[in-house]
Amino acid sequence: MTVSNAGVTAPPGRALPDSRKPSGRPAPRTAARGKSLRERDKSGYLFVAPFAVATGLFLLLPTLYGLWMSFTNQSLTGTGSEFIGFANYAEAFSDPQVWQTLWNTVWFTILSTVPLVVVALVMALLVHTGLPGQWVWRMSFFAPYLLTSAVVSSLSSWLFQPDIGLLDTWLAGLGLGPVGWLTDENVAMFSIAAVTVWWTVGFNFLLYLAALQGIPAQQYEAATIDGAGGWRRLFSITLPQLRPITLVILVLQLLASLKVFDQIYLLTAGGPNGSTRPILEYVYDTGFTNYRLGYASAISYVFFALILVFTLVRLLPSKKEA
Amino acid sequence: MGSSGGLSRRDLLRAALVGAGGVALGGALAGCATPSAAGSGKTSVMVWDLFSGGDGALMQEMAGVVASANPDIAVETTTLAWGPPYYTKLAMASSGGRPPEAAVMHMSRLAGYAPGGLLEPFDLEALAALGIREEHFAPAVWQKAQFDGQLYALPLDTHPYIAFHNPDIVQQAGLAGADGKLDLSAVAGADNFLEAGRAMAEVTGETGVSWGYQRDPAGCWRMFWGLYSQNGGGYELTPGRPAALDEEAATEVFEFLQAMVDGKVAAKNQDGNAASGRFMSNRTGLMFAGEWDLPMFQGANPDVGATQFPAIFDTPANYADSHAFVLPKQGTPNPAKREATYRVLAGLLKEGLTWASAGHIPAYQPIVQEPAYQELTPQRDYAPAAEVAVFDPDAWFTGGGSDFQTRMADAMTDTLAGKAPARTAVTRMLSEMDRFLSQPNPA
Repeated sequence: MTVSNAGVTAPPGRALPDSRKPSGRPAPRTAARGKSLRERDKSGYLFVAPFAVATGLFLLLPTLYGLWMSFTNQSLTGTGSEFIGFANYAEAFSDPQVWQTLWNTVWFTILSTVPLVVVALVMALLVHTGLPGQWVWRMSFFAPYLLTSAVVSSLSSWLFQPDIGLLDTWLAGLGLGPVGWLTDENVAMFSIAAVTVWWTVGFNFLLYLAALQGIPAQQYEAATIDGAGGWRRLFSITLPQLRPITLVILVLQLLASLKVFDQIYLLTAGGPNGSTRPILEYVYDTGFTNYRLGYASAISYVFFALILVFTLVRLLPSKKEA
Repeated sequence: MGSSGGLSRRDLLRAALVGAGGVALGGALAGCATPSAAGSGKTSVMVWDLFSGGDGALMQEMAGVVASANPDIAVETTTLAWGPPYYTKLAMASSGGRPPEAAVMHMSRLAGYAPGGLLEPFDLEALAALGIREEHFAPAVWQKAQFDGQLYALPLDTHPYIAFHNPDIVQQAGLAGADGKLDLSAVAGADNFLEAGRAMAEVTGETGVSWGYQRDPAGCWRMFWGLYSQNGGGYELTPGRPAALDEEAATEVFEFLQAMVDGKVAAKNQDGNAASGRFMSNRTGLMFAGEWDLPMFQGANPDVGATQFPAIFDTPANYADSHAFVLPKQGTPNPAKREATYRVLAGLLKEGLTWASAGHIPAYQPIVQEPAYQELTPQRDYAPAAEVAVFDPDAWFTGGGSDFQTRMADAMTDTLAGKAPARTAVTRMLSEMDRFLSQPNPA
């Protein structure tokens, strides 16, 4: 790690080195250079200001306003905003739809996250270990990530179309019966997860590829000289070196999957029989289709609290690792 | 400008700033100049609609005619995608105080909209002055447009869920009348209908009837509610109390639908697009759909026939809804704009013949009585549907594009797909209805 500021505060009776004297090493950046730091602070604040203002206006204020709304019976139609205490939260905890859609969200997260990490790793390893025509692979693995959810949903909707869809037509060609890709309660979530993996795996693939390229070649050379084969190098060098990026990908992926909404809304609108409705769609339905903004805010805050707890739990061990 | 003759960076910035100031100033002045549309000296009237495809093109055409008849008005129509988000946008625009001057709405949504103070009632005298009066509308439709004793919606049409048919296939299957069109008595009664479906399947070599229920909540609900009404089913949807349906009648409806979606009469696992595709490519003889699909079907088969919904059960009934114009509540009311809006809406109603060519039954009766309308086929063949029209149940959460229809369809798909008994759909629907009834009305 670089120089830590923590140890540089002057102990009583000892002056800090004067930065103007040539001391042979760079002066530690400390609070001792008070004036210039304050000046630097000023320009720093200026640089940060636009982002801070935007964050305040479009993130913090709405977030706080949402928190306030969760304690009211605010309606989208603008009528009836009364403070009702924890009534919305009480309703949320006893609402089976909240638990059902929360489970759907978790189920989607499990179904999508595991392949999104594993497949990305395998793809990156294949490309990195020297498949010919690397740029073609890189492009084709990453290209779907550039599509919008509307395009992806449109494409897959035709693929999964019951009765006349491509997949069912191919299955029929093989003498197999049709599958309710998006219409069978037991299948729909798998289909959506598969589409999501195809669509978004490219980003994780790029992260893995970058990490792979960052592993020093000398390590492999040394291992090879010591007689390590390909598998040995994979398990003893590559995978351990990829551990930090895997943790990053895992956390980012979990958060992204928990936020799932658009592809599900466009493909199944939460059906069949609510089997694919994620909690964010329930929030949307409650707030925007049924106009109950107060209750929708309360459900969002319950979900927000769960993600926060999850993120904090995840952060604790990563501090130790650092 | 520098001696080089080019524009220095500073000059450019200065020019840009002055220009931006001018634009801002111009905008501010234009703002002062309302009700005139900026720059044109016209009063602008914005109308939101939810008509895509052919419907949208016709609405544009009608708006064009109205605009030319009223040179002092700039009619701006904006088409938004139909479905739940349309109503969200309308509600948000209204509650934000800057909605369009008028908007199209399904009348079935009125019960959820009008009480929330999002709409303003029509001034009957102002309408009468433009030749729009109560006697020009069917009593049931006029009644449906009322809330709290006032007119909150100006009905544009009735759009029923009907049966289209392919005259060739129907004739070969022996289901045609003397005029070569589908004989409604040949498809009346559940057993008769299924038999007719099998006869058409013999002709096509595939299935007889097209009905797509997968991923089409509105289609599921329309089919169920129409048939349930035919079967004499009543309902009680009172907030705070458990929902009540005639469970026997509802179960019979699902038994019929399961028998229909058997892979022979109708395909087992079909969605709306596939159903239309099969019908238009002559692979089925009959198709259940909304009359708004008429232009699309006529594009594929100019001879396509259409009738009101066959009498599968005993009570004549045909599911329908109605597009109507409403006046979203303005944050800052503007009498000049309001007056212009009335003229635009009255003009649009009187262009109903154009609207009828899309398949809709005009609500403004003088149009229906015109000889030109009476010559429109197959429109006149299904016009009787309006007489037995049943609308959505009255509750704040029901209606076109509502979450209610989605949940009802969710509850019935397993049964329709043959994975659950008929009764299951009814039980699930009741439990979903109970959930809606237990929620407070947000309006």
